[in-house]
Amino acid sequence: MATKIRRLILTAGWFIVTLVAGLPLFGIIVGLWPSVTISWDDVSHFFAYNGLASSILSTLFLSLFAPLLALYIGFMVYSQYRFNPRWQALEKRLAPLLSLPHLAVALGLVYLFSSGGLLWSSLWGIFGATAPEWLGLPHKSIATMLLAISIKEVPFFLLIFSALGRQLPIKNWLLQGRALGYSEMASWWLLVFPVLLKQSRLALLAAMAYSLSVLDISLLVGPNIPELYAVVLYNWQTGFTVEEQNVAFIGNLVLIALLSMLIAGIYLHEWWSVTTLRRHAVKRTSLKIVPISRLFTHWLGFFSLLTLAILVTFLVWSLGWNNQEIVQSSSAINWSFSLWQDEWFFIQAPLINSLYIALCSAIIGVLTTLLALELQRQNKHYLPDYIWLMAILLPQLSMVYGWQISHTAIHGGYHSGWVIMSHLPFTFAYSYLVLRGPFQSLDRRYELVAASFGYNYWQQFWKIRFMLLRPALLSALAIAFSVSVAQYIPTLMIGAGRVTTITTEAVAIATGNEQSITAIYMLVQAVLPFVAFLLASVVSQRLRGSFDVSH
Amino acid sequence: MSVKHPMLLAIVMLLLVSTGGWPLAHGQEAQLANATKMANSPQWQKTLNEAKGETVYFYAWGGSKPVNDYLRWAAREVASRYKVRLRHVKVADISEAVSRLKAESGNKSAIDLLWINGENFSFLKQQELLLGNLWTGIPNAALLATQALSLENDFGVPIDGFEVPWGVGQFNIIATNGLLATNSLETQNRKITPESILQAAKQLPGRLSYPRPPEFHGTTFLKQLLVALSDSDARLFAYASPEAQATLLPLLWDYLDQLHPLIWQQGRAFPSSNTEQLALLQQKTLDLTVSFNPNQLIKEQKEQRLPLSAQRLYFSQGAITNSHNLAIPKGAQSPAAAKVVINFLLSEQAQQQKLQGSWGDPTVITPLLDPASTLPSQQELHSSWQQVIEDQWQQKYGA
Repeated sequence: MATKIRRLILTAGWFIVTLVAGLPLFGIIVGLWPSVTISWDDVSHFFAYNGLASSILSTLFLSLFAPLLALYIGFMVYSQYRFNPRWQALEKRLAPLLSLPHLAVALGLVYLFSSGGLLWSSLWGIFGATAPEWLGLPHKSIATMLLAISIKEVPFFLLIFSALGRQLPIKNWLLQGRALGYSEMASWWLLVFPVLLKQSRLALLAAMAYSLSVLDISLLVGPNIPELYAVVLYNWQTGFTVEEQNVAFIGNLVLIALLSMLIAGIYLHEWWSVTTLRRHAVKRTSLKIVPISRLFTHWLGFFSLLTLAILVTFLVWSLGWNNQEIVQSSSAINWSFSLWQDEWFFIQAPLINSLYIALCSAIIGVLTTLLALELQRQNKHYLPDYIWLMAILLPQLSMVYGWQISHTAIHGGYHSGWVIMSHLPFTFAYSYLVLRGPFQSLDRRYELVAASFGYNYWQQFWKIRFMLLRPALLSALAIAFSVSVAQYIPTLMIGAGRVTTITTEAVAIATGNEQSITAIYMLVQAVLPFVAFLLASVVSQRLRGSFDVSH
Repeated sequence: MSVKHPMLLAIVMLLLVSTGGWPLAHGQEAQLANATKMANSPQWQKTLNEAKGETVYFYAWGGSKPVNDYLRWAAREVASRYKVRLRHVKVADISEAVSRLKAESGNKSAIDLLWINGENFSFLKQQELLLGNLWTGIPNAALLATQALSLENDFGVPIDGFEVPWGVGQFNIIATNGLLATNSLETQNRKITPESILQAAKQLPGRLSYPRPPEFHGTTFLKQLLVALSDSDARLFAYASPEAQATLLPLLWDYLDQLHPLIWQQGRAFPSSNTEQLALLQQKTLDLTVSFNPNQLIKEQKEQRLPLSAQRLYFSQGAITNSHNLAIPKGAQSPAAAKVVINFLLSEQAQQQKLQGSWGDPTVITPLLDPASTLPSQQELHSSWQQVIEDQWQQKYGA
């Protein structure tokens, strides 16, 4: 009987984790299921779309180089900070910095650094002049996208490196490097970088898949001659003629093909960088990248400042800074809270939705992750990461398209339950990414000792493993929470717009380009994850002392 | 009352209209009488009863604060008057709603009411996804100023009661003072020509632009240029035959070939929408923007978002004029409440508020019609030109 129940529980557990982790693949398959008959005309129509080639090329360029740039910067920052007293400060601030939504970073950069933005126009404003156009960050361009994504992904790679670094004897490698006569920085590049690069393939792919199919920031700051591929594809997907739907189908196939090209790109880059480094190691020529690394000694200060500047920019816009530009007669800015007063009442409903959806999907996501990890531990075999991380490795646009088709087919209603379900694969994948390391590296001897005291399985799990994991669980929760808050495509396509969140409102309002009101929504969207991380860190501070034995 | 009665009324109305020559005041009284009569009919009372306690999900573009504010006001009003909850579902582009209706294929819909016109309407009507007989089923539709404005067609497609006009758009240009050489000394209604735009672009390179087609403000800008460049060629108002395309379109492309090197970012990027272009004008990055709202300049100036010296201009052939409309999907879950909302939005009070409030959208009902505030209008091109212009633009300048 007992074994029967145990087997039943195990089966149910596997069923749940398979469901959550398999949803992305399900979406891709449904989205690509040939429901329409594709004629040769459709194919030629697809390839006849003027600008397709340049759209695809610029998208590939962006999704390949922005994450790689972020990876290199992340590595240089990591090497500058790792064995340094500043490391602790970095670790503490990393998660909140990571939580700033992509959209906020992208729009924040434009609001700050475009020629009409806060920085240049206030500098030039002192002399009563307008900043020249060429000085500012372009409103819409591949450069703006590249900058936004590469800046935004640096903390993500730092998080990955810090998790990987814990399991690698980096200090020993550096010592060996020194014994062989290399400088410390050269040893970082020659010895540590190739290993970290290999181990962060999945993280790199996640960042690339994101850049490949991100819609909201492509729409708002991406170039439009040609448009980025995600925008072109989304236009076809929301197109309503048969022709457009057929083209959308082909477009989805091409998106998957682009993803596989990016995977090839990852391996190609790895091969290139490892052979280049090896050549340098053999010839003992100096690495040109070493002096560049030093630029990132003060990255933490710079990035914190940028984050703060972005938040302040939104605040300043939302308080009516814009007016000063227009009405030359009054030199003083009319600061006013009237926009906040107007909007606050209407922000509440989407805010509550955001909180509710993010809280539910984060908690369920983290619990599912715990379940998946525990089931694998029971099996004494961990499945490869890519199986669990499909939600962030596959292009979101195609998978959610498939979900939407199935959701309409089963006449699912439009309520937050479905939206929570559509966020779940993403909160799951991110918490898996965060939790797997701590879960696996937990010292098994604690449980052995507990078993010798006569604790049963559940007591061991609850009183030892769960308790020891609590700080990691809290940061996983906070990350899952902020991932859910920032979701745009699933919320929009599954919630049909009826389920409004801060993010869907922010994007709809941002299409109107009234910067002051957009700023309010951006600020609220950016502050939500901050609050989550603040809470997580306060709670985990209180938990330490009694339970923090793993450090 | 049976359905026949409103039909009869419509016939009577048609007769009244066709007799013509009636003093306007008389027609207005008749319209008001009709509206009152329909409002008191048992059928409408039944609709009002059904609507009570229902929620209307109104899918409308959410990018405009004045429109959002207006809908918030309307939501308060319909809640207190008719016990109907009006929820504005803010969409980034209304085509999202159209493709959703297509996916639902007439089944129970997420959408109760939507704000559309042009190709979106034409597609939904052709796919039979819209509820019909709205003009006869909604009392205040009797007030529509069908005589003064062309409200029975939407981009050349007969409306046939599948949508109800809500407001009127007239294409105009808002520019900084003295940007465009004009042929009139009058300050408010200055006329422009393609030549004056090119002249301004030569004097101030990089300061002009227009929204990237197929954004409809951008496409309309091209249509206005085409009308002006072809001297209002009659073929523009008929089906776009290959011959007509071959003779007329090169006029436009030759002109744009001259203009693009002189505009913002040499035409390598365009504002995505008129609102983005307005923001660029406000930031003094550009010197002009385009608008479909003839009162936009005044409203922006009132809110101190544009300087008082800015000017409203229109093409000398007249402003392309069209209506924007409200429609109910066939699968709407609260069609009665949606009708009640439309009826309210066509009421004198709601139309007045729309005109006088921060939105400033022109009215469509006879009692409030003010011919003085409207621009001379230019007929909309035949709908087939739209796709042709957009496709060829994409082909020539889209990459």
